[in-house]
Amino acid sequence: MNTASRGLSRRDALKLAVMAGLAGVVTAYPERRTFAATQQTLDLAVERSRLTIDGATSRGIAIGGSIPAPTLRWREGQEVVVHVTNKLDEPTSIHWHGLLLLGVMDGAPGFNGYQPIMPGETYTYRFQLRQAGTYWYHSHSAGQEQEGMYGAIVIEPAERDPVRADRDYVVVLSDHTPERPDAVLRKLKLGSVSEGYYNRGKRTLFDFFQDVDRDGFDATVRNRLDWGDMLMEPTDLADVTGYSFLVNGKGPQDNWTALFNPGERVRLRIINASAMTIFDLRIPGLPITVVAADGQNVVPVKVDEFRFGVGETYDVLVLPQEDKAFTLFAEPIDRTGFARATLAPREGMSGDVPARRPRTVLTMADMGMDHGSMAGMDHGSMAGMDHGSMKGMDHSAMMGMGTGSMPGMDHSAMPGMNHGAMAGMDQGMAKASDRALGWADAATPPGTKALSYTDLKAFSKTRDLREPAQEIVVRLTGMMSRYIWTLNGAKFDQGTPIRVAYGDRIRIRFVNETMMAHPMHLHGMFVELENGQKDRLPRKHVVLVPPGQTTSVQLTADEPGEWPFHCHLLYHMASGMMTRFIVERRTASL
Amino acid sequence: MRSNTRSLTTASLLAGIALLSAPGFALAGAGEPGHGHTAAIGEPAKASAAKRVVQVELGDNYYKPESLSVKAGETVRFVLKNKGDFLHEFNIGTATMHAAHQKEMAMMVEHGMLTPTGINTSMSGMDHSKMGGMAEMKHDDPNSVLVGPGETKELTWKFTKETALEFACNMPGHYESGMVGKVAFTR
Repeated sequence: MNTASRGLSRRDALKLAVMAGLAGVVTAYPERRTFAATQQTLDLAVERSRLTIDGATSRGIAIGGSIPAPTLRWREGQEVVVHVTNKLDEPTSIHWHGLLLLGVMDGAPGFNGYQPIMPGETYTYRFQLRQAGTYWYHSHSAGQEQEGMYGAIVIEPAERDPVRADRDYVVVLSDHTPERPDAVLRKLKLGSVSEGYYNRGKRTLFDFFQDVDRDGFDATVRNRLDWGDMLMEPTDLADVTGYSFLVNGKGPQDNWTALFNPGERVRLRIINASAMTIFDLRIPGLPITVVAADGQNVVPVKVDEFRFGVGETYDVLVLPQEDKAFTLFAEPIDRTGFARATLAPREGMSGDVPARRPRTVLTMADMGMDHGSMAGMDHGSMAGMDHGSMKGMDHSAMMGMGTGSMPGMDHSAMPGMNHGAMAGMDQGMAKASDRALGWADAATPPGTKALSYTDLKAFSKTRDLREPAQEIVVRLTGMMSRYIWTLNGAKFDQGTPIRVAYGDRIRIRFVNETMMAHPMHLHGMFVELENGQKDRLPRKHVVLVPPGQTTSVQLTADEPGEWPFHCHLLYHMASGMMTRFIVERRTASL
Repeated sequence: MRSNTRSLTTASLLAGIALLSAPGFALAGAGEPGHGHTAAIGEPAKASAAKRVVQVELGDNYYKPESLSVKAGETVRFVLKNKGDFLHEFNIGTATMHAAHQKEMAMMVEHGMLTPTGINTSMSGMDHSKMGGMAEMKHDDPNSVLVGPGETKELTWKFTKETALEFACNMPGHYESGMVGKVAFTR
């Protein structure tokens, strides 16, 4: 039985549930990828395994006998019991990403009294499901998540699902490297000094001369100096490359396929279980109706593509009418490859694989922070600038600087510059050069729509409309040169925990002072993204904060405990980009 | 909204939008085909002509019941109760007609004439001459009713002959979410 490629209708799931209920205990074994039961007790073993991607076999770690781990199909309100047995020779853990539960069941070692599961030991998780939707589970120990310890969770709602579908598929995206995660991190730390070990899109001397020709020498040098100050490189969109990108554990050649009959309504529960990869995802020829984000229902919004942060999930609907194959295509933002799967009426079909989009070139706007360096500009030299060659300058970058941040600039020294003309120039340039400029530019074709965070509108109203009692600023910081990623400038073990009072309404303001986007994940509670949707702020467990930008969220601190709060890029977390978010009850002494 | 509705005689209850119709695009009167398909899909009828009443619950985003069964030549009075938080439509047509109507409604939402929760009546004061293609935009099809949150409305429809029909909500994303049902013809 190949349930993975057939998908499960709700009726099938119920049938399985009845069968499983009779069996009482469902034990995971290889090839069995889906579980459903009314009385949920299951055993999951964590063990070394191998996986074969497009014909190449490498080592990995499996939960429940497969990579990805089996999809856990549960029902809202159920109490689930999961016995996890560690068959590795190192400690492990399983974290239930996005689930509301007691801290000790959250599965993050070192938090809420949860201890890692030692080799040979079994830990019993027991919790009641207080929510419905698409979530996932993964290791929260070392680099094990990168090695294959991730799987989907689907919780059917107790009430009517606001979405009806004929087919229901889980689509788990991931990135796989045959290297061991500790080796990857070592190389990142060693190689980052000047090499940009994994950054194959690194700009070269040749690029430099091209830029000089295009931008003029001063501008080019200045740009270089700025990048030098940032200790990053302008194509540093992702810091690990050499990945294979997988859909449900299958490579692009393996071509994981989901079947449909033309006219059917197909629900895809798409999970970004990557260690490090932010994707742009589309299904050419099929509009995508987004119906849930991070497991929480949203007012349906129709788009052509979306940018997909690590740890996020999106539930989407597609309605293929034609008897043909469609390609699900997910490109990492550094465009170093792609994940591909197929939706088709029959097995063995494949659709066109679209041309890869250009890799964006980060601009000064993506720096956001470093306006200070502008003060040191040699304005005198600008007077002598060859304005003719300025046509090629990336003015979009200059836009982002904001005039306020350039107090030291002597505008009188720039007599020949026509600012009015500059405004329009960057657009023409972006179109003329077949390049994408700036982090947010996914090279989305004109006339098509990419999902924006502002499109997300919660399906049910925001429950807590109080003004936040406390505002917390979390600066996303880092030193690329030494591969140290931090929050508020401090590594995890050196930083001060965040403390909030139980029951309070809190605002968190993420200020991204780095050149990379960071998917910020809070355990234990949903945050509500302040995206302008007033009383329908979308509830999320991961918020992707673009480089150089500020994003704010609110939350009601209604889950006591000390929760991990971290960047979900695995190697960023591993290098220190994490803190404790402590929700404490008020005591008399306070 | 209600005062506008009172002045209209069409099956359409979406007065705010109907008023946006420019001169020359007068409302299709009851019984006049709004789409050209109307003859095939049936026609509006007087409530008194119906021998059968069907209660339909509109929710977020679903219908209860999920499908309907009618006979050719039968006239049915639909009582449509919106129990949800969002604006919903009850529209009888073919899948193709719904697909076309979804585009129109998406544009109405984009232009603020419709919001996810209701009809923007304040837009009736707009300068229609500047609306270009919008002039043709009107939600006055006799085969469709918009029902706001908490409202109950009616549509009486004569199913003239057997054809592949769906009742559907064409608010953006609702049809896609499954807010559509088949009309089965029984003999």
